[in-house]
Amino acid sequence: MEVENNFGPVDIAISGLRAQGKQIEIISSNVANARTTNAGNGEPYRRLEATFKSDSDTGGVKLDKILTDTSEFLKVLDPGHPLADENGYVAMPNVNLPVEMMNLTIATRVYQANTAVLKRYQQMVETTLELLR
Amino acid sequence: MSRTNSITDLLEVGIKAENLRQKTIANNIANLETPEYRRIDVKFEELLANSMDSSGSVDLNELEPELYRPKQTPIKLNGNDVNLESEVGHMVKNSLRHTAYIRLLNKKYKQIELAMDVK
Repeated sequence: MEVENNFGPVDIAISGLRAQGKQIEIISSNVANARTTNAGNGEPYRRLEATFKSDSDTGGVKLDKILTDTSEFLKVLDPGHPLADENGYVAMPNVNLPVEMMNLTIATRVYQANTAVLKRYQQMVETTLELLR
Repeated sequence: MSRTNSITDLLEVGIKAENLRQKTIANNIANLETPEYRRIDVKFEELLANSMDSSGSVDLNELEPELYRPKQTPIKLNGNDVNLESEVGHMVKNSLRHTAYIRLLNKKYKQIELAMDVK
């Protein structure tokens, strides 16, 4: 990480905001598709997971990959369902709503933390600018 | 003309550039959901640095802030690349620089007043 940019903390906090914004987007996709039995390939929807990496130039964070969760699909007993197999089970997406809500809370808190850093840094620079009065 | 720039002239072009940048940010945020819109930024500091000669003076009449489309942020599904968080970040930096310039200008005027205030 190079330290030469005057407003580096602003860029870093903004990169955090953007990363968490992306994370919230992915969580909302998972929640919206929690009961999607066909994700376009004949299989139920697989939940997505975003991974992040640090940006070595600025010291911020950036999106690395969006990966699919390969864990087992949820089997729900519903013999009347048109997609039920011979035993009466329907394969449902591997989305676990409580887990998604927990991740949503974490993402929201991290977003708030980044805005707090941004706000505090802004106040700090304003304090310095007061010396120019 | 003299080849050294006065502080007030330099501050004037700086404040003008920050004003223009604030306008482009407002424009970008207004077009947050406009399909195919690419964000606009102001190129000024690089131009100022490039046109400086060895003594550090610039012909300010020749220097104009330049509008350009960086095309660096990822494009959304509708072909738009404006990101609200980035624009807020640019706005914070812009307003801090603007405040610094205004305070410096104010300081300069105070200095002149002090010099004129001899009784």
